[in-house]
Amino acid sequence: MRKYLFIYKSEIMSELQYVFNILIGFIGYVIILFIFLNLWKYIYNDPNELINGYNMNQMIWYVIITEILWSSLGGRKLCRKICDDVRGGNIAYNINKPYSYIGYSLFSHLGSATIRGILYIILGMILGFIFLGSFPNLNILSILAVLLSGILATIISTLLIIFIGLLAFIIEDSNPFYWLYSKAMLVLGTIFPIEYFPKVMQTILKYSPIYVVSYGPAKLFVEFSWPNFITIIFWQLIYILIAYGLCAILYKKGVKNLNVNGG
Amino acid sequence: MAIIEVKKLSKNFKVKVKEKGLKNSLKAIIKPKYKIVRAVKNISFEVEKGEMIAFIGPNGAGKSTTIKMLTGILYPNNGSIKVLGIDPQKERKKLAYEIGTVFGQKEQLWTHLTPYDNFKFFGAIYDIPESRVEKKIEELKMLFELDDFINTPVRNLSLGQRIRCEIVASLIHEPKILFLDEPTIGLDPVVKENIRTLIKRMNKEYKTTVFLTSHDVSDIEKLCKRVIIINNGQVVLDDTMENLKYHYLNKKIVDAKMKERVNLDDEDGITILKDKGYNLKIEVDIQKRSVADALKLLNPDNIIDINISNVPLEDIISDIYKKEGKE
Amino acid sequence: MLMVVKNQLKISWLSIKYALIREMLNKTTFLTNIIFMVLNNASFIVQWIILYSLKDNVGGYTFKQVLLLWGIASGTYGVAHFFFKKAFSLSDTINTGKLDSYLVQPKNVLISAITTDIDTSALGDMIYAYITLFIYGVTLPNFLLFTFFCIIGGIFLTSISIILSSLSFWFSKSDIIADTGNGLMTNFATYPDGIFKGIVKILLFTLIPVGIVNYIPVRVMVSFNLGSFLIVIMATIFIVILAFLVFYKGLKKYSSSNLMMAKI
Repeated sequence: MRKYLFIYKSEIMSELQYVFNILIGFIGYVIILFIFLNLWKYIYNDPNELINGYNMNQMIWYVIITEILWSSLGGRKLCRKICDDVRGGNIAYNINKPYSYIGYSLFSHLGSATIRGILYIILGMILGFIFLGSFPNLNILSILAVLLSGILATIISTLLIIFIGLLAFIIEDSNPFYWLYSKAMLVLGTIFPIEYFPKVMQTILKYSPIYVVSYGPAKLFVEFSWPNFITIIFWQLIYILIAYGLCAILYKKGVKNLNVNGG
Repeated sequence: MAIIEVKKLSKNFKVKVKEKGLKNSLKAIIKPKYKIVRAVKNISFEVEKGEMIAFIGPNGAGKSTTIKMLTGILYPNNGSIKVLGIDPQKERKKLAYEIGTVFGQKEQLWTHLTPYDNFKFFGAIYDIPESRVEKKIEELKMLFELDDFINTPVRNLSLGQRIRCEIVASLIHEPKILFLDEPTIGLDPVVKENIRTLIKRMNKEYKTTVFLTSHDVSDIEKLCKRVIIINNGQVVLDDTMENLKYHYLNKKIVDAKMKERVNLDDEDGITILKDKGYNLKIEVDIQKRSVADALKLLNPDNIIDINISNVPLEDIISDIYKKEGKE
Repeated sequence: MLMVVKNQLKISWLSIKYALIREMLNKTTFLTNIIFMVLNNASFIVQWIILYSLKDNVGGYTFKQVLLLWGIASGTYGVAHFFFKKAFSLSDTINTGKLDSYLVQPKNVLISAITTDIDTSALGDMIYAYITLFIYGVTLPNFLLFTFFCIIGGIFLTSISIILSSLSFWFSKSDIIADTGNGLMTNFATYPDGIFKGIVKILLFTLIPVGIVNYIPVRVMVSFNLGSFLIVIMATIFIVILAFLVFYKGLKKYSSSNLMMAKI
């Protein structure tokens, strides 16, 4: 485990050099949130009105949190890197190394996501306070709980994207799959909470990754409850196991084929 | 009449100074530091019609900057340029019809099209009627021996074949002057030789004035009658090839293999370059001592094999560079 | 003069044609690029279906009008990025000295430089634009107006990018400004202007002229108004002239690739 922590730490160090680029990305984040602020202000006749169980402030905080999760992930770069590793044969070099490729990819990506995450959390909180003038009702303990579920969500997202990247073992280019994933996340998981969708879809979405990587932490932030927390964490842990398992199986199968073909 | 007239030409660049370290990088965002790089300093020269002229110098000497000002790409800070009587900055398009350019490292051809289609595209750029373009392509195809690959997509051609096509593409509109910026860069010696022959043939055939920059001395030695050497943005030498050789070729290298060991020391006019007992390499300054004189010192009876040669042009030019650097 | 324009158009047309041929060499990639872009744009319908299930009027737009707004947005974006792809990476062209090859040709540098490549997926944007028009309800005047607005808006977007990218002649890092500016235009383009108020609304018709490119055209198509129609045309002519002026002003400062070399 120590070596993975080391990988994680060195990735944090190297990401620090790109802080300026992250700050530029802030502009896009601010604009999206500004547009949503205006949109929800228009839709809600009265800020205290409840639509599908959410008041206006909760809807805007929801988008702030899901956008933080999405922006700090930086999934496209990761998917492209994994895909290139598989296609470029880089992965063959990793077979003999004393660490698992998946573990390495996970921890190095989490390193860069940490820096982005911290910066986006700061920005998101400031922005939310400026726009809305108040924070949701949370105490230190529940803040830590939300943070934990946010971290687990990022781990799951990273593993899922590694899985998508590893699909390159089977098909030539796995980037289009990432693209589909990101579209689904954006339309179904970022803009609206699950309760906004028709009943049938709600059931599906509750069992989909969207529930654990996006909806879960955001829901906890806008409306915290311990029973909800336990359910979400439970499903997140299950999903980590599933996602890791999927990656491991695909990697094992892929590498086997690689050996047969002689790399 | 001079076809290119350059008077007191200067060009400066403002370059951001980059300092190391996070602290300095942050400082640079707020208050960047600049320094002025004087790429070309007050140079003047003329080129006559039909000439093949070499414009040489080490990397960063100002060659490309000058050629870019002559072709209208860069604006000078000072001085005047007349190319075919046209001011390149004021009448860029008018000049463009009259000149051809080949920048060795930059590709102007569409790689997925054949050379033939590319040439037709260039014909269109220069507003040449279809029938004349076809005739011209046919003619240049012969001259540059493109027959084997004129219908192969450019991306499948070798580097040498590509350069030939680049040159032809820049000749479609029958320019009066051809600017070649490092045309043989990255090519192997055989291909280089082949390109040189073709350029020479073209100059003979069309009387096109050729303005060539290169850092490969043999390009110049084999192609050009006149040389302008530039260093640190200044003209160091502007002379004929012959004069250059005459003035700087007053030294001979004698390379001899001896039967017996000779003991020779540096004397007036003689410098020992290498002394391995039986193998001897000496430099003779013929203004101070004749070659025959030097040979006597060696005792001609003892010589098994001998080779007397000129100092390579490369050494001469680097000598000139060095001298100028000191002054 | 007429001859010059004709010859210039011929070159741009040939460049676009050749670039298209190149993109079509790999048919699968070509088609997936287009189809994915259509799907990409279509996926946002989900968002609007949900919003309109809450309220039957968002920012003064009906559902079909929002679709039309999307149509104009992706149509203008498509035209700009298909025909003038390089206008959106013009900073890079300037910073890396790639303008050289256009400067030695007897053609307009700016036009040659921006029409030298195409963006395949922008075809998907254009296709999607017409899909929305068909859903909205197509008539001949409608169709003509829509096409006209897509072209003129595409030229408008291109001009904005040229102006912002031309700043690279003075400051090499300004590509970030251009990217941000272009991003601003697309971010606002698909949301009804009625949701914005006060200063922002003024900004959207001036400094961030989404209003000229997207909002006014939708209004004109919903109910024709000659005044608004002319405003769009005048504004476009103005910005095109401004783009040329700024670019040619900057061109005198052009330093080719020499600056890069100096850095090494």
